[in-house]
Amino acid sequence: MAELTALAKALVELDEEQVMELVKQKLDAGEPAMNIIKECNEGMAGIGKRFEDGVYFLSELIFSAEILQNVMAELEPHLKESDQKAESRGIVVLGTVKGDIHDIGKNIVATLLTGAGFEVVDLGVDVPTEAFVEKVKETGAKVLGMSALLSFTYPEMKTVIDALKDAGIRDKVTVIIGGAPCNEQVREFVGADYYAIDAVTGVNISKQVYG
Amino acid sequence: MSDSVKALYEERLKRYQAAIALAPTDRIPIAPGSNYFAEVYSGFNHQEYMYDASKWIEADRKFIEDFPETDVLRTTRVWGPIQDILGFNTYKLPGRDLPPNVQFQFIEGERMKPEEYDILIRNPAEFIFEYYLPRVFDVLKDRTSARSYVAFLKAGMAQMYWNNMLKARAEFLQNEMGMPMATMGLVLSPFDALADGLRGLRGIMIDVHRRPEKIQEACEALVPELVNSVLGAADPLRRYPIFMPLHRGCYPFLSPKQFEELYWPPLKKVVQMLIDAGYTVRAYLEGNWGPNWHHWRELPKGKVLLDIDGPGDIVKAKEDLGGYQCIAGGLTDSDLTVGTPEHVREKVKFLCETVGKDGGYIISGGCNIPYDTKPENYRAMIDAIMEYGRYGDKTEYEVQINPNPPEGWQPPKGHVLTPWEVKKEEIGEIMGDEDLIKAAWEMFERMAFNWTFGWIL
Repeated sequence: MAELTALAKALVELDEEQVMELVKQKLDAGEPAMNIIKECNEGMAGIGKRFEDGVYFLSELIFSAEILQNVMAELEPHLKESDQKAESRGIVVLGTVKGDIHDIGKNIVATLLTGAGFEVVDLGVDVPTEAFVEKVKETGAKVLGMSALLSFTYPEMKTVIDALKDAGIRDKVTVIIGGAPCNEQVREFVGADYYAIDAVTGVNISKQVYG
Repeated sequence: MSDSVKALYEERLKRYQAAIALAPTDRIPIAPGSNYFAEVYSGFNHQEYMYDASKWIEADRKFIEDFPETDVLRTTRVWGPIQDILGFNTYKLPGRDLPPNVQFQFIEGERMKPEEYDILIRNPAEFIFEYYLPRVFDVLKDRTSARSYVAFLKAGMAQMYWNNMLKARAEFLQNEMGMPMATMGLVLSPFDALADGLRGLRGIMIDVHRRPEKIQEACEALVPELVNSVLGAADPLRRYPIFMPLHRGCYPFLSPKQFEELYWPPLKKVVQMLIDAGYTVRAYLEGNWGPNWHHWRELPKGKVLLDIDGPGDIVKAKEDLGGYQCIAGGLTDSDLTVGTPEHVREKVKFLCETVGKDGGYIISGGCNIPYDTKPENYRAMIDAIMEYGRYGDKTEYEVQINPNPPEGWQPPKGHVLTPWEVKKEEIGEIMGDEDLIKAAWEMFERMAFNWTFGWIL
């Protein structure tokens, strides 16, 4: 990876003040918002790397998402319509399955995926089977991520995968499951392609799928 | 209580207490803490169980008759009616805002603002009454309405009704079924009390970076309040451990450094204070505590039972904690819900031969026995323990029953809303025995504070 810019570096170090200061300077200097986002995404990738290396933990991931959100709020007025979907690496559909309203893990995954350049279609929590299938069909996403915090959702995840089969699109989409009660045994039971032990693993699998 | 039931009760309790104390037992205890399966096994749905307390005794009887090898059952659970009375808005409940057969769920949220730390630190009682409760009780949206006053009256009545139900159930379990309780009384770690109910996960994780010293001060302020509050609900005879479900101490929420600076010191203080008051503690280590659980070696040996969750490595837990504290667990949610009896049997055999081989071990799921456990898997777990988990014919251990705290023990100094001094001034000159009036005043003041404080847990 090329040397990080000052802004990306400040983000990796979670230096909130420095990040906001640099963003303001860049905007004042007329730098396009998309360039600033690109630098931030490099910073987010650096944060993901530190998590992978066991240097950072969830508290750092959540705090970095907070800083990024503040940056995005600052950039919002400067973004053009045409900027929104530029240079997407691919689409990932995400959601917490029916009956389960937990969203912390899913939101962390969404932040990291966005940081890695993916377009994330987040269906939220308590997502019915049909909504998953419809959205995968509509967007042509090659990756579907399902999140669960409660063990009663195993059959729900299986239902979604069966519905993908019935819709004839199972072989077009890679299904990843994640969340505390998931493991390889659960992956096998529900018929998913991968079990991601943490958010960074989920992002890495998505990168593999989209090449 | 018939002699045979009494003997059965003592045998189970002795086995459970001895295992926690790291003393020899006749076999590995079958003593899950949060046995959700037991509640729904007899066929009641989640809503019936949460709203109609009369269903429990029936459910307990059926469960114990079919699985008599189980050594303990849990005491209490979330109860719908009192939440409805107050408009308590932090849970979704089955049959109310979830389908009747889905388990209850906590709604994440920020219920304390970052600028309110200093108020909490100065006086937790004031913070709870003035800031927290109006956010979580919908009936307090209009604090002057007749409805809000009546709601509190009803809640007090409901609490008494509920306490009587729990007492009746405990007596039924002990006297009719010979069944001890897994735990009695619940308390959170100070960090979790702040993280779960007050700041919310996002809020606390931001505070870890922006204002860690406020977290430390707030946790410190919560320590005596948490201890006093749970001592009001714990077993007066000190037979059963106090339950501590621990949430954010798991990997990878906090770094080991953050854990050591923010999470562990106030938790250790609470646990030590409960041990000093003559209790044992059952801590439910939710998630993977692998990098952090060695800290439990710092507490007195054989005083804490640690539930190891599915994502934690129980073999490693035994290596790190063996000889210090008893551990429980071994089967994951998926083993019990989607596994086969053969698989469960093999796994329990493995557990008996490894983590269980020299005691200090209790078979359980990962902190709980899930609602959707297949009955044949629970049965396979028991049968495998009977076959592979035996150490001898008898448990030689004296059952611990202590109505009194250790000599010289004093409760920590905590807050109440209206201390006696305030009331005394209102009365003016007291004509008779001040102590008589004061004792009653303080008892109810303490009960009321404990009750309100309980809503942050």
